[in-house]
Amino acid sequence: MATTTATITINSTDLLTDELSLSTTATLTEAENSTGLVGTGGLGRKKLASGHAQYVLFDGDAYANGAHKIYLKNTSTTAAEYFTIEINSEQMGKLYAGDWAFFPWEANADTNDIKIDPSADNMVLEYMIFIDE
Amino acid sequence: MATTTAAIAITSADLLTDALSLSATKTLHKAGSTVGLDQTTGMTKAYLTATTRVDIFPQLIEGSIAFAGTSSWVYICNESEDETEYVVVKIAGNIIGKLYAGDYLWMPWSQREDGHGDNHHGDITIAPSVDTGMWFSWCCVNEGTEYPTENLATA
Repeated sequence: MATTTATITINSTDLLTDELSLSTTATLTEAENSTGLVGTGGLGRKKLASGHAQYVLFDGDAYANGAHKIYLKNTSTTAAEYFTIEINSEQMGKLYAGDWAFFPWEANADTNDIKIDPSADNMVLEYMIFIDE
Repeated sequence: MATTTAAIAITSADLLTDALSLSATKTLHKAGSTVGLDQTTGMTKAYLTATTRVDIFPQLIEGSIAFAGTSSWVYICNESEDETEYVVVKIAGNIIGKLYAGDYLWMPWSQREDGHGDNHHGDITIAPSVDTGMWFSWCCVNEGTEYPTENLATA
């Protein structure tokens, strides 16, 4: 068993008239118990060289149904460049330059792939999966 | 223009033989720009006592043509302290994953019409695993969305 924590902090002093200061820490555990996740694909980077082709980042067929966690980051520094994120062919959203996301992934179906689609050539996505084995 | 930052730090001393210490910070911008997001639904705190699936942003019209392609960010947290309690999070009727006790997500949201044609629009929905009561919090920070017009009911 390993202990892995993910802390999110969201701050703003001028989005609202009152200050926004949110911080939450989650310990990454297996489904329905308190055992820490021990599997990971490691921190990786994927460069999509050309063609703006959609790419299957995580194949739903390759993972068991579980409490996996996904981290994604668009490493681009060009504001207009984005990755479109799809899950089971439904568009979740777009990661623009420097944006990151962290969300659970159940891999509950073979079709529940996570796909990325860059808006320009040679964009690099940083990613990491924490696997419920 | 507002300045809102979202940061994450993922750490572990024993997941790998080397220590994991990953962090990222980003100011939330309007799509394709460096202009800060300036609108929000505010933070909702909810106690749900049914396993019924609910649309957590019912006030927004997903699939809006007027705001197609804009930037939105969603935070959802399962505040339960019972490790067996979870919530199933879906987008456009498709499962993203389950948030167990203390888990949260932070994700971009296109508010786009569903691709499967089953009329789920871009809804983000949650369904608690138990009906004995679970606490949740969620919010959306965005650059604009379409709101429903007044519903004039007739007697």
